[in-house]
Amino acid sequence: MRVAAGVYRQYWRINILTTLEYRENFLMWFAFTIVYHGAAIAALWIVLERFPSLNGWNFRDMAFLYGLWMLAHALHNTLFSAVGDVPEHVREGEFDRILVRPLDSLFQIIATPGQVFPDELMLALAYFGVATWYSGVHIDAMFVIFVPLIVFGGALIELGIGLIVSTLSFWFVRVDALIWIVVQLEQEFTRYPLGIYSRGVRLLLTFVCPFAFMNYFPASYFLHKPDNALGFPPIAGLLTPVIGCAFVILAYVFWRFGLNRYQGVGH
Amino acid sequence: MIGTLPRRRFRIEPYVEFAKRAIMREATYRFDVFTSIASFAIRLYLLKTVWTALYAHNPAPQELSLPAILTYSTVALLMGLVMDIDQTRALHERLREGSIATDFMKPISVPLYFFAEGTGEVLFHAVLMLPSLVIALFLVHVDVPGPAALAAFALSFLIGYLVGFCINFILNCTAFWTLEISAGQMIVTWVSDLLGGELIPLVLFPPALQAVVETLPFAAMFSTPLLIYVGTIGPDEYLRAFASQVFWFVLLAGISTLMWRAGAKRVVVQGG
Repeated sequence: MRVAAGVYRQYWRINILTTLEYRENFLMWFAFTIVYHGAAIAALWIVLERFPSLNGWNFRDMAFLYGLWMLAHALHNTLFSAVGDVPEHVREGEFDRILVRPLDSLFQIIATPGQVFPDELMLALAYFGVATWYSGVHIDAMFVIFVPLIVFGGALIELGIGLIVSTLSFWFVRVDALIWIVVQLEQEFTRYPLGIYSRGVRLLLTFVCPFAFMNYFPASYFLHKPDNALGFPPIAGLLTPVIGCAFVILAYVFWRFGLNRYQGVGH
Repeated sequence: MIGTLPRRRFRIEPYVEFAKRAIMREATYRFDVFTSIASFAIRLYLLKTVWTALYAHNPAPQELSLPAILTYSTVALLMGLVMDIDQTRALHERLREGSIATDFMKPISVPLYFFAEGTGEVLFHAVLMLPSLVIALFLVHVDVPGPAALAAFALSFLIGYLVGFCINFILNCTAFWTLEISAGQMIVTWVSDLLGGELIPLVLFPPALQAVVETLPFAAMFSTPLLIYVGTIGPDEYLRAFASQVFWFVLLAGISTLMWRAGAKRVVVQGG
């Protein structure tokens, strides 16, 4: 445990030093992050300027919905983004190196230095603050206690999915198509209230890839919106931390199962 | 370096060959084909669902009815299959690796080489439009306009493609100076998807914003051909629409030429 803590500290030290070294590159990617989220929010604004209601949600509600997702997504990107590189490591044969080191393989993946910097997380925090004020969500004790837990739970949901897809890459070397589909479900389908989708997609986003718990159910709770997608009681919105933990444990068990059967790609 | 080459008669054959090679190369990545089609189907489902829900809960805008906007979105996605390809990506890669120097030694026009390569790639992806269209017809009803509008759309799409090619080329040319351009390129992609009318028809933008985005080159890529397709731009406005597209093409082609010349000179100075 002490070793792991030391490794993790070093990991952040290297990340920050790398970012400082490649400052222009960092600024360019930060600009991209701003434009990516900015374009998504602008698109929602343009549409809702013309059509004031989407299934009973106005722009203010949707801004909060997006903010909750953005915060969880940014936290995931800051802490766990390296999990998404596993399929590539497997394909290139670099993954085998991780298996022979005396630390948990998932921990090693997460602590692989890159050019990680909490810039998106800071941006998300700032945006979430504005969106909360703008949407008129009442900030009470429940909000203060539950929002951090929900955001962490949401990041765990994304980690869980990433872990499952990565584990699948042990058997199926090319999982790019699957990654694409999952990314679209997570990044684009979470922008809208769940009730607009057909029943199959609602169930998919609730029970199979539980992205609806990243933002839709919690946002419904804080905005006092009735859930007209699956008829869940409002309290379902507070379940995100539980769902996130359960999901990530499930994914980790699957990951261990996959590791025990991992044979490499024959490099 | 370009100037030292003896002038030759222009021959089209090598460029046709480059395009053919690019088609064959693309065809080997069958997996990406599946990804593109799957991604197309998911996007179409999402757009259909969102627009249907929006029209169900609000009074329909006068400019576009629900069937018209679904047709618009479907055709936009189909166009995206070829428009969203960065045809001159190879230029940026060769600049970074330095292999651009050998390209200059060949008895060909390098920009035309990239154009031929890119067009080959695009033609291959154009074939994908067919299975995608079949999938689309299962999901939504797509209106087909009369032959005149269809011909006007095809012409407008072609000019739009050329405008898109120039924008990509200019972006890739900035690599002569900066080497790393991925982030900048992605920024332009996101902005142009939104401001070009690929995702949301420009006629639905708030009026003040609409006035601005309609003067930008991005509108020439998606919005103009699409509005011709759905009939918002009527036959009496075709000429004006083509004229503005051609204006952007000429202007951007001019900028491309200037940037290419300045960049090529720089490679010679640095020695590649």
